[in-house]
Amino acid sequence: MNNQGEQRVLKHRLSSRLFHWGLVLGFLPAAITGFIIWLKPGSEDFVNLAMRAHIASATLLTIAVIIYSITTMDRVVAFIRQISEWTQHDLKWMMVGGGYAHKIILKKEIPVPPMDKLNSGQKSMGIFMFHGGIFLLFSGWILYAFIMVVPKTFVYWIDFGHLWIGLFLGVCTFAHIGLGIYNWADFKAMFGDGTMTLVEATHHNPLWVEHKIEPTKKTTETIIAN
Amino acid sequence: MSGFQNQEISQVIDINRKKCKGCDSCKAFCPANAIDGKYGTVHRIDPQKCVFCGQCLVNCPFGAPTDIIDPVDQIIEKLKNKQLTVVAAIAPAVRVAIGEEFGMEPGSLVTEKLYGAMKEAGFKVFDINFAADQTIMEEGSELLAKIRHYALGEPAEHPLGPLPQFTSCCPAWVRYVELNYPQIIPNLSSAKSPMMMAGSLAKTYGAKEIWNVKPENMYVVGVMPCTAKKFECSRPEFDSAGTYWEKQGYTGKYPDVDSNLTTRDLARLFKKLDINFNMVYDYQDSDNPLAQYSGAGTIFANTGGVMEAALRTAYFIITGTELDNLNFTPVRGLQGIKEADVTMTDKVTGKTVTLKVAVAHGIKENAVPLIEQVIAGTSPYHFIEVMNCPGGCVNGGGQPINAMGTSWVDKWKAILPWN
Amino acid sequence: MASYDYVEKAIKVSRREFLQVVGVAGAVLWTGAYVATDLVQDRTKYIKLRAKGIYQDDVKAKVRQSHNNVALNKMYQTFAQKPLSPLSEELFHTRYVDRTKLG
Repeated sequence: MNNQGEQRVLKHRLSSRLFHWGLVLGFLPAAITGFIIWLKPGSEDFVNLAMRAHIASATLLTIAVIIYSITTMDRVVAFIRQISEWTQHDLKWMMVGGGYAHKIILKKEIPVPPMDKLNSGQKSMGIFMFHGGIFLLFSGWILYAFIMVVPKTFVYWIDFGHLWIGLFLGVCTFAHIGLGIYNWADFKAMFGDGTMTLVEATHHNPLWVEHKIEPTKKTTETIIAN
Repeated sequence: MSGFQNQEISQVIDINRKKCKGCDSCKAFCPANAIDGKYGTVHRIDPQKCVFCGQCLVNCPFGAPTDIIDPVDQIIEKLKNKQLTVVAAIAPAVRVAIGEEFGMEPGSLVTEKLYGAMKEAGFKVFDINFAADQTIMEEGSELLAKIRHYALGEPAEHPLGPLPQFTSCCPAWVRYVELNYPQIIPNLSSAKSPMMMAGSLAKTYGAKEIWNVKPENMYVVGVMPCTAKKFECSRPEFDSAGTYWEKQGYTGKYPDVDSNLTTRDLARLFKKLDINFNMVYDYQDSDNPLAQYSGAGTIFANTGGVMEAALRTAYFIITGTELDNLNFTPVRGLQGIKEADVTMTDKVTGKTVTLKVAVAHGIKENAVPLIEQVIAGTSPYHFIEVMNCPGGCVNGGGQPINAMGTSWVDKWKAILPWN
Repeated sequence: MASYDYVEKAIKVSRREFLQVVGVAGAVLWTGAYVATDLVQDRTKYIKLRAKGIYQDDVKAKVRQSHNNVALNKMYQTFAQKPLSPLSEELFHTRYVDRTKLG
């Protein structure tokens, strides 16, 4: 219960928010510097600096991934389950693009199938980031630390994959940033204290609110007391 | 540009800016630190340091270093010219690798097919293995003269260079010494490389006795596993055949070896001439004296091969008997530095002499320590074979590129390409 | 400290699920490691195969020592006389260049 008497739900735990910061400080600079390394604009010193920054941010990302995976395995399980569950609701949602095109371009709100904690677009993003991200981490480390060890033709194709998957995920990330800002309640939650009002949560994630959350001990006691 | 004589080719390998990813793989294999460019940026070769060995080329995962000297079309024109006798001087390492450009397994020994394809293309054949045997006789005699003087204490007939003697058949190695360690130039054997011996022999003895043609109407093409040979044949001092004939009253200035094809270039030439290597008839060329060679000549292609060939002959000349086991295994294999001692009883004086030899392949890791020993005066060896390319010429910069392979044969090499 | 009234229910992973995932992950990693070490060890195979081909050429040769090359000896007899003869020096020997002194 916050000041306005609205009930709030914890959508993003501290560990998840910290990991997201790891992605912001690790993945995002890696994507941007990766783009620079690909095109090699400017002077030799500039490109070399971009490369060194790429390696530094990729190292940060790797550490964040390892720590998060080991210390909060339940969130990893939750995430994988979410992105793997696709229902008729998801297919219908994808067909109308979640109603975002209608809202932004046509200024018209259309009915949209009910979503769980992640909407179908976020689930797709999750699939790309999870698999693509693992590939980028493995391939990146091979290209950096093990390039002398791996046969030439493997280096060629791993580099090819690293570039194109990196570019694709980079584009996805920029879309994600845009849409994340558009969904201001979630943006405030992820970069703030992790909470949003129950009303906001019910609007975007009705299935999650209905089936997957429960009152905190304090709330239960309050209800019982009352 | 410094470090070049007049007329010499000053660049053989250039890095393609569009393909280079700046991964630094090439730098790990460059014996001469001739590649500039920070990690992640497009790299460049510095021709003033480059020894043209091509190791960067065969090890780049992206095919960025390119052999910029393409003589294939020019040689096809020469082959069409009926006035010219085009002679192909074929190196040992080519016969176990040319098949790879036509789908065969690495190491397929296809000498007769190669001769057949050369014949179909219109080349006369001069097998450099013959010249390799000749190199053993020349360089071996030079070494034995030094051994007799320095180790057995006999007076010298002619002025002699110092021991240890380094081999001089590898042009990348020679250029490396000339650029970085000129103080050991006196230790280099005065013998030319087998290819250059073949060139001068082809345009003198070959012209006169074998093919019966005028030397100025000959065009000698080296067919090599090597990119540095493209540089070597441009060295201005290699015009001995022309100078020889001048002394006899003929005019004409021409190089001993006119042009060079790498194994890869040769495959392209065959393809351009529509010669299907797999279907070519075998050709022995058994009537050609310049295609006759011993087993000692052919093993020049491997690291330790020159040494083993030299030992087979040195042993015979000193002791008067042949080695029991001609397979001198201590100098074989991919170990960076190999050593051997050969104890012999001199048939002339009855004295015992122990020849201490060393074999190095890969200049930076393995030859440099031996050079430093020589400069410090602490080298225990009499004879040292140096090949620039790891594994020897079979893994030369001109050989077919093996996609799954690497020139990294040593155990320890820095993994992190930190710059 | 944030105040909120609802939280997500705890995630439960059954023993079976856990073993399945770990089993598959282990199989993938083990196979990957095996394939990788295989590939790495075979990288110099092409050099060894070419060298082997050369030694085969040596073993099957009729003559295995340079001093027994008949055609070579004939060349010396009829043309260059012997190794290190004046003609041999002229045609088959060379001098080198101190390139640090070349401008």
